[in-house]
Amino acid sequence: MSDTPDSSEPALERLFYHSERIRLVYWDEFSGAKTAVLLTGFVAVLTFVTGLSNLSQPNVTYDGPLAAAIPVDPGFVQFTGVLIAFVLAGLVFGLQRRKRLAWYLTLAVLALVTLLALTTLQTTDVPLLLSILVTLPLLFTNRGAFDRRIELSSLQIASLSSIVGVVLYGTIGSYALQDQFSEIDTWSDSLYYVVVTIATVGYGDITPLTTGAKWFSVSVILFGTGAFTVAIGSLVVPAIEKRMAAAFGTMTLSELTLLDDHVLVLGYSDITESLLDELADQVDVVVVTLDADEASTLNDRDVNVLTDDPTHEETLSDAKIDDASGVVVATRDDANDVLAVLAARKSNPEVRIVAAANDRQHVDKFEEVGADEVISPMEIGGRLLGRSILEEASAESLFENLDEDSD
Amino acid sequence: MGLQGVSPAERVLRKLLAPLCVLSGAVVVLGFFFPELVGETISGRIWLVISLVFFGSGLAYLAVLPAESDESMSELDPEFLLRVRRLGLTGTVRGFLSRQDPVTFGVPVAAFALFFLGQLLVPSGTIATVGATQRAVTTYGGWLFVAVMLLAVVFSLYLLVGPWGTVKLGGPDAEPAYTYPVYFTMFFTAGIAAGIVFWGPAEALFHYETPPPYFDAEPQSEAAAGAALTYALFHWGFWAWSAYIAVGVPIAYYVYQRGAPLRVSTILTPFLGVENLDSVWCRIVDLLAIFATIGGIATSIALVGEQFLTGIQFQWDVAFGTVGSVLFVAGLTFVFVVSAQSGVHRGIRRIAAVNLVLFGLFVVLFFAVAPRTVVVESSSRAIGSYAVNAVPMTLHLGNGLVADPWVADWTIWNWAWWFSWAPFAGLFLAALSRGRRIRTVVLTGFVATALATMVWFLLLGSTSLHLQQTSAVDVLAAIDAYGGAEAVAGFPVFEALAISQLFMFLFLALIVVFMATSADTSTLVVAVLATRREFAPTTGAIIFWGIFQGLVAISVLVTGSAEVLQAMAVLTGGPFALVVLIALVGLVGTFYRHERGRRSIVGTARVKLAREAEDDDRE
Repeated sequence: MSDTPDSSEPALERLFYHSERIRLVYWDEFSGAKTAVLLTGFVAVLTFVTGLSNLSQPNVTYDGPLAAAIPVDPGFVQFTGVLIAFVLAGLVFGLQRRKRLAWYLTLAVLALVTLLALTTLQTTDVPLLLSILVTLPLLFTNRGAFDRRIELSSLQIASLSSIVGVVLYGTIGSYALQDQFSEIDTWSDSLYYVVVTIATVGYGDITPLTTGAKWFSVSVILFGTGAFTVAIGSLVVPAIEKRMAAAFGTMTLSELTLLDDHVLVLGYSDITESLLDELADQVDVVVVTLDADEASTLNDRDVNVLTDDPTHEETLSDAKIDDASGVVVATRDDANDVLAVLAARKSNPEVRIVAAANDRQHVDKFEEVGADEVISPMEIGGRLLGRSILEEASAESLFENLDEDSD
Repeated sequence: MGLQGVSPAERVLRKLLAPLCVLSGAVVVLGFFFPELVGETISGRIWLVISLVFFGSGLAYLAVLPAESDESMSELDPEFLLRVRRLGLTGTVRGFLSRQDPVTFGVPVAAFALFFLGQLLVPSGTIATVGATQRAVTTYGGWLFVAVMLLAVVFSLYLLVGPWGTVKLGGPDAEPAYTYPVYFTMFFTAGIAAGIVFWGPAEALFHYETPPPYFDAEPQSEAAAGAALTYALFHWGFWAWSAYIAVGVPIAYYVYQRGAPLRVSTILTPFLGVENLDSVWCRIVDLLAIFATIGGIATSIALVGEQFLTGIQFQWDVAFGTVGSVLFVAGLTFVFVVSAQSGVHRGIRRIAAVNLVLFGLFVVLFFAVAPRTVVVESSSRAIGSYAVNAVPMTLHLGNGLVADPWVADWTIWNWAWWFSWAPFAGLFLAALSRGRRIRTVVLTGFVATALATMVWFLLLGSTSLHLQQTSAVDVLAAIDAYGGAEAVAGFPVFEALAISQLFMFLFLALIVVFMATSADTSTLVVAVLATRREFAPTTGAIIFWGIFQGLVAISVLVTGSAEVLQAMAVLTGGPFALVVLIALVGLVGTFYRHERGRRSIVGTARVKLAREAEDDDRE
């Protein structure tokens, strides 16, 4: 504020009137899918703490309106709260990856949590209920954002369904044969027996007594442990493989084989971020760079990265340059750029290659080695700055003008 | 600086507040969920301090968060760095003083200093004199308050339906600078302080014990209960809020239609003209406004501090004494100073939003657990009784033009108190109202706010009355045991309901936040009034006035002069009633001359009907 007196109106203007209209809550900022995921995470933590709080109280009374309606064992309600919190925490990871299935399951689990809270309804349950009340509408309004399918390989589907099948087979079978087992009296007993057997724990408190029952147990052990092992292998190994790959910023071979009509971005430099913003929604992009740190951060953001030298032809053929729809060359060094353009042209004579020249004097050299289009970002930036100061227009509108000029 | 962006000091403050809030918050969450565990290790006193630190630092942190748009532009503020280098301490002080209006800045500072000096030297004398004067004014001058209040109500109602409601402040093309929710929230939370929280469960009980003479009911009878609830509505409903409209609408009209400066004295425009708003009369009005505001807010802060801790002492048997009150007031001052200096669009807006959310949450939860049929039945009866009796109740003074003791102590005292708050609340209403039609202003500041207040009083009042009548809890005995402290009333009431712990948490939070939202606005308004007309108040001036109000509140606590200062604030309500009268006469005259040819709601409806009839005829 300057010390020169000005008329009172502009001064008060600054005090009471902002440039934009002032809202009570800037909904746009707080109503996105990200907030929904964060809130669900918050509910998970709150469920955990509330469950622990209920557990820690020696004798919980059930004051809720549903307490009479649900005939449950008090102890059961007490520890389910904590248990559900773990499930919810797992679902938050799914939500973070925008999985559709996680969204459906979250709704179901939140409904369950609400039921439990309405059964106990301690003072400590009220914050939980209120936060669910806020989270649910947000999840509903953002349901479009959670649209990714769970992608399971056929092996994974097969092993998962065979586990379900074996558990069903074992449970129903052992219940039917309960006379031939020691101590199987209820459905819980037979499920317990099957799980203990499949997990190769085998306490031995329930044992088969007849030959038929023994053969039955052997079948459960063989198929069950088999399915269990294969399922763990098929579910966990790809996850570990992906972790490892992420650490090195390299795409797995299986991911690379899926690529088609993608755009290769060779090298990582200052303009790569804006480039990715522009391309991300339109086509699949694969960034090829030697910079392991950048590769790892890009990979965390679900951008495909191949950590290898973009000037080698083998690398480019790994990145499926034959099926690529275009190549953008933009490393930090023009010499490397030239090598990358050469390698790309050699690997695929038809593909469209666009290169960014760090130095405007190198533009013609790029064209000579095979680039279809050469752009000098510095030159464009400089010209925009010049126009902006002369025409007093915003950079955005100048950008549109630039488009028109070039047409 | 603070108004424009984020100063370096604020960034440091944020770095300090965030860990403080998180750490104390963790303790609070632990204590809430695992009371046994925490109860063993932490004493009640420390527990309360930590909770208050959590809430206060949370509010302050919210206030200093950067606004959505101004973080980037303030990252490098070379002007600020230059200024720091250029000015030494004397330079800063001189620069600060040069922006202050010598009269409206100097006189209040000197007067309050003298007042406390006098308190220390001749305490008993001043108390007796001021008390007697206030009593005389409310008893013999009661008719004036009643007349002006009635006039303000009639004026508000006429603006609502009459032709002048269509005037759009700032011209037909003006766009409102605030969306409607934020407009309502900021004005509602600024216009009412922690009194609403304390008196919600208490006011009806007091009238139940000593029924108002107008209803002539047996104390503690069924009739007294109905009368009590009606009077609670009467004291806090439409009448009270109309005082703010009577100050706010004239200021807004002259500021936006005539280009007058945004000050309280602007209401004299029709008599002096826009050019002569520097005259002695204007200085007097502005001075009076500052006295009324600081007196009203500072005593409120001091009383809230005392009552808050009395409630704590009643419920959890943790005594604090004066030192506790002083610390509480200091903490509260910190919160509202940070909020006020961060600007209308940051701290004041955000804390108001927190306030409204907590208020709404409390009402909804309370309605869920309260005896609903009783609440609905006695509320509808009270509303009916209020509608029928409001005007006769206003006119009933007791002995002709002289108010009887009950009316003087409750109704007239209450009107005077609202009038003394009117300058600051009215000015704030005017400041927010650019681009709104006068009808919208009245609908917000008169109808919506009064309805929100009345819902609160009906809900809590009828519940506490019901509990008292059915002898479920003896709230009155609890209040009497603590020397008539209204803050005590809430706790036994909540204890009789489900999820009582949560209500007590919310209740205490509401007290703090309602006080903060009024005090930050009043700080801003006083800073505007004390700054020279050509300047906007600087961050320094806002901080100065905030701390000044906090200091007055602390001095009130230390010298034990809350009643005296409150009586004096009520006394400023007297001249303000006169100012309101003058303002209304002036504005009606101006409207009559300049705003002809507008249609009232009835007129618009008639024209519309006639046009439709014509269309029908044609077909």
